[in-house]
Amino acid sequence: MAAPPPPPPDPQFVLRGTQSAVHALHFCGGAQGQGRPLLLSGSQRGLVHIWSLQTRRAVAILDGHRGQCVTWLQTLPQGHQLLSQGRDLKLCLWDLAEGRNTVVDSVHLESVGFCRGSILAGSQQHWTLAVPGRGSDEVQILEMPSKTSVCTLKPEADAKPGMPMCLELWQADSSPRPLLLAGYEDGSVALWDVSERKVCSRVACHTEPVIGLDFDSQKARGVSGSAEKALAVWSLDEQQALQVCGTHKLTNPGISDIKIRPDHKILATAGWDHRVRVFHWRTMKPLAVLAFHSASVHCVAFAPDGLLAAGSKDERISIWSLYPRT
Amino acid sequence: MAVFDTPEEAFGVLRPICVQLTKTQTVENVEQLQAQLQAVSDSALQQLQQYILFPLRFALKTPGPKRERLIQSVVECLTFVLSSTCVKEQELLRELFSELSACLYSPNSQKPATVSEELKLAVIQGLSTLMHSAYGDIVVTFYEPSMLPRLGFAVSLLLGLAEQEKSKQIKIAALKCLQVLLLQCECDDHPRSLDELEQKQLGDLFAAFLPGISTALTRVITGDFKQGHTIVVCSLKIFYRTVGFIMADEQLRRISTVQEKPAVEHQVAKLMVHREADWVKSTGDKLTILLKKIIEGVSVHPHWKVRLELVELVEVLLLKCTQSLVESAGPLLKALVGLLNDESPDVQARCHKVLRHFADQKVVVGNRAFADILAEHLHSLATSLPRLMNSQDDQGKFSTLSLLLGYLRLLGPKVNFVLNSVAHLQRLSKALIQVLELDVADIKIVEERRWNSDHLSTSPKTSASRPWSQIQRRYFRFFTDERVFLLLRQVCQLLGFYGNLYLLVDHFLELYHESVVYRKQAAMVLNELVVGAAGLEVENLHEKHIKTSPEELSEIVTSILEEYTSQENWHLVTCVEAEEMGEELTMQQSGLQAITSGSSTCQVTSFPAFSKPSPTICSMNSNIWQICIQLEGIGHFAHALGADFRLLLMSALYPVLEKAGDQTLLISQAATSAMMDICLACGYDSLQHLINQNSDYLVNGISLNLRHLSLHPHTPKVLEVMLRNSDASLLPLVADVVQDVLDTLDQFYDKRATSFVGVLHALLAALAQWFPDTGDLGQPQAQSVGEKGSHSSPRPAALEKGLEKSTTAEDIEQFLLNYLKEKDVADGNVSDFDNEEEEQSDPPTVDENDTVPDVEPPRPVQIQIAADVMERCIHLLSDKNLKIRLKVLRTLGGKCGDFLRSRFCKDVLPKLAGSLVTQATVSARAGPVYSHTLAFKLQLAVLQGLGPLCEKLDLGEGDLNKVADACLIYLSAKQPVKLQEAARRVFLHLMKVDPDSTWFLLNELYCPEQLTPPHPSLHPVQLRGAVGQQNPYTANVLLLLQELQ
Repeated sequence: MAAPPPPPPDPQFVLRGTQSAVHALHFCGGAQGQGRPLLLSGSQRGLVHIWSLQTRRAVAILDGHRGQCVTWLQTLPQGHQLLSQGRDLKLCLWDLAEGRNTVVDSVHLESVGFCRGSILAGSQQHWTLAVPGRGSDEVQILEMPSKTSVCTLKPEADAKPGMPMCLELWQADSSPRPLLLAGYEDGSVALWDVSERKVCSRVACHTEPVIGLDFDSQKARGVSGSAEKALAVWSLDEQQALQVCGTHKLTNPGISDIKIRPDHKILATAGWDHRVRVFHWRTMKPLAVLAFHSASVHCVAFAPDGLLAAGSKDERISIWSLYPRT
Repeated sequence: MAVFDTPEEAFGVLRPICVQLTKTQTVENVEQLQAQLQAVSDSALQQLQQYILFPLRFALKTPGPKRERLIQSVVECLTFVLSSTCVKEQELLRELFSELSACLYSPNSQKPATVSEELKLAVIQGLSTLMHSAYGDIVVTFYEPSMLPRLGFAVSLLLGLAEQEKSKQIKIAALKCLQVLLLQCECDDHPRSLDELEQKQLGDLFAAFLPGISTALTRVITGDFKQGHTIVVCSLKIFYRTVGFIMADEQLRRISTVQEKPAVEHQVAKLMVHREADWVKSTGDKLTILLKKIIEGVSVHPHWKVRLELVELVEVLLLKCTQSLVESAGPLLKALVGLLNDESPDVQARCHKVLRHFADQKVVVGNRAFADILAEHLHSLATSLPRLMNSQDDQGKFSTLSLLLGYLRLLGPKVNFVLNSVAHLQRLSKALIQVLELDVADIKIVEERRWNSDHLSTSPKTSASRPWSQIQRRYFRFFTDERVFLLLRQVCQLLGFYGNLYLLVDHFLELYHESVVYRKQAAMVLNELVVGAAGLEVENLHEKHIKTSPEELSEIVTSILEEYTSQENWHLVTCVEAEEMGEELTMQQSGLQAITSGSSTCQVTSFPAFSKPSPTICSMNSNIWQICIQLEGIGHFAHALGADFRLLLMSALYPVLEKAGDQTLLISQAATSAMMDICLACGYDSLQHLINQNSDYLVNGISLNLRHLSLHPHTPKVLEVMLRNSDASLLPLVADVVQDVLDTLDQFYDKRATSFVGVLHALLAALAQWFPDTGDLGQPQAQSVGEKGSHSSPRPAALEKGLEKSTTAEDIEQFLLNYLKEKDVADGNVSDFDNEEEEQSDPPTVDENDTVPDVEPPRPVQIQIAADVMERCIHLLSDKNLKIRLKVLRTLGGKCGDFLRSRFCKDVLPKLAGSLVTQATVSARAGPVYSHTLAFKLQLAVLQGLGPLCEKLDLGEGDLNKVADACLIYLSAKQPVKLQEAARRVFLHLMKVDPDSTWFLLNELYCPEQLTPPHPSLHPVQLRGAVGQQNPYTANVLLLLQELQ
């Protein structure tokens, strides 16, 4: 009798108990000796769960979005502060230090879209926040924590890219000028020079709205996913011009999130087909299809140590240990 | 009361008697003198001492033959005088000493003179009293080199008496006297301690006697046990005090290399000993031989006081003569260590005290030579251990292992010197592995099954306060004594405590991997290593030793745990009956073969659950023990880590729970007690509490394992156990995992349905229990109805009602019935829905939405679950496997009566009855092995299931008759007893449903008495069962009829 085929890969473990679909995931701590690693998850019902990866249990639940879906979670690098974006048009800043969990500040948002925010934390005290703006095609840049509006990025009148769908603030090593990558409803990705408030470059990557993108500033290369059956990889040349390097076919259409691992070796996509797909970032070779969830996967996140988390509509968060770095 | 206080008065009285005694030496005169002496005060006596002594000494010195009786009374009188006075002059002391010694001198032989025992005793006491009466400094000056010959004579005299006399009294007196003579007297009359110089001088002097004293005493000590313990104890005491004095390192250190010229005559000088290095070396060697003899004899002495004295001997010699007796250190330590586990608590306590003293004084650890000796001993012991374990009886093993334990205790952290050498570690571990080999030939281990799978006992507090230290009874190949096992455990614990844990765990894990033959033993050792490393139960003699930190221990435990619970070490074949496997017949045959062949050849091999070769009884036993040991280990680990074990629950709880539901009794017991240990360690009140609080971890394991069901066939069982021990608060978690279960079931309808039906049963039971009929609206469903309640389509009233109350089993049942009716109507198939069910090949969930979309209600979670389950059950009703059908039927049992009845009667009953009838002929002829076959178990299951079903389903007369007909055959005495019992139980149920027809049926088989009609005009009834005529059914029918009346 032939040996049984090796079983398909399993998640390392699964977190249950959000009791509603998971829409946002974010790892924090663990790497820089900030205590035990934690995973934050945002649910459809507006709750933020803080999971201890050690006990695999929720250590706290934050309720700050009045039952409206939490779409984006981000901790600030300098400490125990958490940003949560909800469909209740509020962006909350939480203080999590020493077991506290209180909202210390909040920003009122003016767009009901699906677009998640992005931050650029330069100095210790000040950081820049990009959120969808008042006008349907606008992106608003705020200086935090003072909440002063720096500018509004509005595409030129003839461009008509539609709503911004995903944002990524970043800074090149060579210059201190903040840059913003934005994926738009018409399937294009644009690079904004924030201080000059102008589009440096724009490239059409998809025929459907761009739903997720991630950018590797070291390689000056990014990847984006949309509702269609392909991923687009694009790069940025020295003149800050975007160009599509290639597209990669998927078996099933629909990507809801895309993340490059912090070591820039692999990337993971969250698929509407219930699967998480893992690719080699340099070659875009497909490495694995992670089948566990029984509904759309909404979000993926990488921990600093490489652990992968995927949150799904099936109310579960699966944690995977992939190609652990040696 | 003294009459004569002044010397003058006393002199007046005593003078005539003394004169008379000097003239005529008779016993009477001596006695008269002694009588008068009684009346003289001590001070007066002191003044007249010399005067009174004169006639007595004269009597002793008079040449010519003397009567013993006279000498005896003279000596006694002399002793009396000496006991009341002090000897203040050196010369007097010496003379008296010589005169008394001479009383027992026989010029012709070396031996003491052949005189009466009374005289010997008197002289011994006289000498003893004399030495006591010596005043102050004159005692010290008494021991001059010039005295050597005279002292030597006395010493050899006393030794001779102690050795050769028959009277115990004389022996003891001689020994006591020797003690006095060697300045070892324990009485309070010798307050002055000797200074260094004096000690040295005495040592030099006594050294001359050492050979004589040590050899003679050794002969006494190793003599017959019957001589009594006092003599041996006393001899031992003199032995070690003398040796300890003469060979004391402190004295020897100051001995110069060149002997001073003693100021004595040449003859005497020749006798003097100079204790320089060569002498010490050769004397040490000789003493080692004697000590070995002594230890050999005394360590097994039946009297505990003797063994206690041996402990003292070891202590004194090891503390005082570390260097001079370095060769003896080994045997001495061995003796001490061997007594650590003495049966007498006093000896044990003293041993421990001495060991602690040694540790405090760093006698062993602070001394390289000692540590080396111990390490060497440990090594040689380890080398010979396997051989000893093979050849020795249990008592021998016990003392050998005690010795090993003692070495480890003494070496403490230095045991690492031994362990760091690969050769040493290998010898030690091989020995342990060999000794711990289990006897796995017992068929009972496989055979004992756990029949009722219902409940785990709930509270850990019901057992003893430290249940973890209790261990399942094991049977070892090389010993039977429990104490030996206890010692082995202690040895491993000590190794874990003092040894380098990483090294040891690595080593034993390697052995664990190396061969199945070692695996169980290695696991046992690993378990104890961890317990020891945690410092539980270990008496630490080495205060500076730092034990393994909790973090390290936790890390180590994690890795062992991973090993234990890995697929190939955890899922082993433990029974031939693999109910999941489809090919029942082939299994049945191979099972039988395995039993017959297994008992003859006993090979131990391990089979992972998925490999095919038919396992032998031995290999299954071995597997069972391995799992038990690993389970026990998990309990130990929990105990060792305490609350820190909570973090490991996510990986440990699932496997343990899986084994708690195992069919093999031993495994399930071991798993339960492991869970108890976990409860205690992690602070859970009960198993239920433990399971409930950690359901998320369990669900995680269940859900992931369901993905690979072929590798984890027992996953449904874990869920079953979890459900039984959970409460309503876990509903969301349960709902989550039930979805997985149902999905998996949909994939495996054909192969593994049996195990799933159990889960479904447990699930429904749990739901019914969690949401009892409280009459008011339960919280969860009210909420969910409210949330999703935008449902406007008309629903049947019953369904409406079911939803509103919706919490009891009855409601679920009601709902299902309505649902089924509804579905039939929707399918346009009212008259014969059974056919429809059978034709339907897809799982019902698929077409549900298509056929009855409007009836899909906004169900509360638990109702949704129940409905989903029911749908699967319906499908399973037509499964080919009888066992599954029965289980399904019992699951649905009383809950869906009418529908089930018709299905049951039409579809199931004929097949069940048919199979019972055909099998009956087989079982009636079968031998005793038959009860191990699947066919038997199937018959039993059918019979056991039929009764309750008939009752619950409320079958009609015709169907009841079918059941009764099929079961009647099993009332025959030819059938296996268990089947008869089961059949009787069926009839008991039938009686409840229809007592009259049952009575009739039974009487048809056998009629115990002639039935007389109540009125003569009625015909006498003639039943087919002939009255009084014995047939195979008689016994059972009689039993049943008794029940009816």
